[in-house]
Amino acid sequence: MPPNDPTPDEGALPGLREQIAQNQQTIDRLNRDLAKKSNEVRIIQQISSEITSTLDLDEVLVIVLRALERVLGFQYSMVLLKDLAEAKLRVFASRGYEPSGVGAELGFGQGILGVVAERKRMMRIGNIGASIAYLASIRARMEAAGDITPGGAAAPLPGLAKAQSQLALPLLVKDRLVGVLSVESPKANAFDELDEIVLTIVANQAATAIDNARTYQMVEKLSRLKRFFSPQLAELIVTGGADDPLKTHRRDVTVVFLDLRGFTAFAETAEPEEVMSVLREYHAEMGRLILEHEGTLERFTGDGMMIFFNDPTPVADPAKRAVRMALAMRERVTPLCERWRKRGHELDLGIGIAEGYATIGAIGFEGRWDYGAIGTVTNLAARLCGEAKPSQILISRRVASDAEDLVETEPVGPLVLKGLAKPVPAFNVVGLKR
Amino acid sequence: MGILPDEIKPAMQGIFPSHVVTCSGDGIPNASSISQVYYVDADHVALSHQFFNKTTRNVRENPRALVWVINPETFETWDLEVEYDRSETEGPIFEVMDMQIEAIASMVGLKGIFKLRAADIYRVISATKNAAERPHP
Repeated sequence: MPPNDPTPDEGALPGLREQIAQNQQTIDRLNRDLAKKSNEVRIIQQISSEITSTLDLDEVLVIVLRALERVLGFQYSMVLLKDLAEAKLRVFASRGYEPSGVGAELGFGQGILGVVAERKRMMRIGNIGASIAYLASIRARMEAAGDITPGGAAAPLPGLAKAQSQLALPLLVKDRLVGVLSVESPKANAFDELDEIVLTIVANQAATAIDNARTYQMVEKLSRLKRFFSPQLAELIVTGGADDPLKTHRRDVTVVFLDLRGFTAFAETAEPEEVMSVLREYHAEMGRLILEHEGTLERFTGDGMMIFFNDPTPVADPAKRAVRMALAMRERVTPLCERWRKRGHELDLGIGIAEGYATIGAIGFEGRWDYGAIGTVTNLAARLCGEAKPSQILISRRVASDAEDLVETEPVGPLVLKGLAKPVPAFNVVGLKR
Repeated sequence: MGILPDEIKPAMQGIFPSHVVTCSGDGIPNASSISQVYYVDADHVALSHQFFNKTTRNVRENPRALVWVINPETFETWDLEVEYDRSETEGPIFEVMDMQIEAIASMVGLKGIFKLRAADIYRVISATKNAAERPHP
């Protein structure tokens, strides 16, 4: 302040000067804040354009956390994503932590991150140590008074062991929780309202980018699974609601083989377009019946199909379902055969069904995995199908016994089948019991 | 323009305990230590109401109170003259306080046991900054 500032009223001077100085300080601070803010807005725009240009989830997370540290100065940060099926979070990426903590899980409502996920609201806290000490003392008092039983210390949570400050934001896409973004500091009161504003913008951008990347991942996996499974089941597997059936496992299954008698001869003589049109019609009809009966189509090979029941999802009465589906198929194919016959093609359906344990899982090599079953049961079903005369449904003894109150059968055989040491008793399904 | 300046905000993060002085209906004073005074807006603060104690009882009989907070960065202390206004059990302020308490409670094994009953909202009548001093022993 200039000492000899000419002013009319000497008495009011100190107060006025002080006021002016204070105002100037406020203006300076606001200007600094504004400069910081506009710089941050520019940075955020840059981050946003980077993360929206990729569909790779890991890349999105790396970009976000790297920018939080290098550009915005947040030393400890992590992203937790919501499990697709359950109310829990898993650490997907972190920065500044040693060890990284990636993979750690925590339930909704557990700790700061869990409560943020549960309530879908941001939390900023700068006194974690003091708050814990305060509640721990209350707990000790309650324990001493016998109001609660001692112990019950909560499981360690992902993050800094001695964090004092944390700012955790829900990652939301149209009010749907995708995950939680968190920054921490070992210093008290480390984050302020400006950090809230900046991180809210980052979180909004990140939520959308993460959600898009995750959706893309799921769609890819879904389309792969939909080749084998019904759309509902494929969705269940992708969201984690069902075990991944591509992992090798053993299961008691009912296997159905079917093919068109006379197809090879037909394919040799007919025009390829004609063959394709017949196949398309046949596949469409069979496909619909498989879905209707909750069967799993393992594969088609030209006119042949292999379907099984009781995997990947267990179903009630797999043998009965298989037989019922076979009967429906026979009924549906009969008019098709008549139409084909009118066009001069001698085609007829044959079906074989067997039941037993098979080893099921992914078969193949990287880039070309198939879902398949291996076991005597598949062999037996295929051989029975091979033995079936036009319009016959041949079933094994176990299938016949499981479906005995559903259908009338007549014994055929025992049949000597390739690959099976002993002759095998078999039954032809005449029709549903009246 | 409200009464509470921005520079008081660090004092309302619960780093150091605050103190509140109240007086019963028949004139008996009471001082107690509280873990955090929450900033609501430039004219209001909130105190967490977890137990029914002398403070919560007194302000319902006699709403005037004095709150003392410390800025942990500058060690400046502030005297706030306040008046009990209302008690909230929902809404944004309640939610912020309730979330923090629930999160910390879950970390010490008190989830569902130790809860925020209400957010008691006080209107600020005056705020006076005292000279920097060390926190009370």
